Amino acid sequence: MHPLARRLEALLFISSRPLPAADLAAACACAEAEVAEALAELRAEYAPARHGFVLHEVAGGHTFAVADDCAEDVRRLTGAERPDDLSAALLETLAVVAYLQPVTRAEIAEVRGVSSEYALSSLEERGLVEQRGRADTPGAPLLYATGDRFLKLFGLGSLAGLPALEEFALGASEVEEIRARLLSNAERRRA
Amino acid sequence: MRAEATSGAAPEVALELDLDVFDGPFDLLVTLILRDEIDIWEVRVSRIIAEYVVRLADSGEFDLDATSQFVVLVAALLEMKSRLLLEDEVDDELDDLDPDEAAERLLERLVRYSQFKSVGGALGRRWEEHAARLYRCTPVPAALLRRPAPAGALPRETLPAALAPLLREPPAPDTSHLADLAVSLVKELRRLRVILDDAGEFTFAGVAPEGRLERAVTFFALLELHSAGEAVLRQRRHFGDIVVTRVARPAALAAG
Repeated sequence: MHPLARRLEALLFISSRPLPAADLAAACACAEAEVAEALAELRAEYAPARHGFVLHEVAGGHTFAVADDCAEDVRRLTGAERPDDLSAALLETLAVVAYLQPVTRAEIAEVRGVSSEYALSSLEERGLVEQRGRADTPGAPLLYATGDRFLKLFGLGSLAGLPALEEFALGASEVEEIRARLLSNAERRRA
Repeated sequence: MRAEATSGAAPEVALELDLDVFDGPFDLLVTLILRDEIDIWEVRVSRIIAEYVVRLADSGEFDLDATSQFVVLVAALLEMKSRLLLEDEVDDELDDLDPDEAAERLLERLVRYSQFKSVGGALGRRWEEHAARLYRCTPVPAALLRRPAPAGALPRETLPAALAPLLREPPAPDTSHLADLAVSLVKELRRLRVILDDAGEFTFAGVAPEGRLERAVTFFALLELHSAGEAVLRQRRHFGDIVVTRVARPAALAAG
């Protein structure tokens, strides 16, 4: 293994949080490009199915995690529990916050068509959403955004890792189908 | 009360609010709601009332006019909110539109919503895959965080030199900027007894000085007169003026 890869391995071993490439470069007094190269070597070394842990890029940094197929053993040893599943309402609210952030509660309600007060406070309790200042609009409402915990729990290196919103748009035929249904309702109302 | 009824009168309730949807004075919130710039659905009236009650308790003063106005405004907000519960009024926005236009508007909303609904589904699948992952979380051993102790034994004088500043008596704080209390309880008692002797009866508002602290001393003096059995205190209503009436001077004082 390249000497720099071993030094990075030591830093990642001792750190309890994901370490950004810039921090690794500073600690090793070398260029980020060299770090990127050495990290690639480490990633290959700690690729899934080789060791009991895997090197991940998550929440803006690099960190080790228990290999997924070993996680149950660790849970039995430590008693750690799987996080509770998120309901459809929580996931929807989280989706709006993740893509439109920073966003006010009123804006979330406008997209979902229902008040999202409970969903938001539940997401805040779980640390998936956090308050991020106030909007510069009448009444200065609170703004909400996702934080590092969101990235970690969804296995994302950064928000840029989210798939493009356009990928989830309805197809033209589906839109036409809904339009036809709505227009026929409108026709009935007129009659 | 309808929105038009309150929009003319400028509310004068000085209450600063810190709600999720609004940060500022209460009157501004009411104005913004009336102008439809804040959705009343988003405003928790119970929080506003709670903040007002806390402010009342803190201030210790009860302004009947301001409080009445506050109750009227809060009642108006509640009425506006309860009206929205009636389905007819909620759907007003779409009812005003031509059915085709309403259908287009609804379509736009549905398309946008369905997009986020699908994202929610995708996030759910990611959650399934990643949320249970166990990331490295072991804290850095304390020994590694501690700075190393200086090598070798320290000279004997180091300890007393380090402790001496801690054992020295600190200088007394300068309180010269604090004003002395203008009235002492004894002096105030003497003053009130003179008034009581001359007039036989007086009101708290009539004799109390301007300053808050001085008024408090006057109030304590009244309680003192009452507990000594020298005066009877009467208050017709809560927060009303207190009427002080002479009873009789205790024998010891009368003799003195």
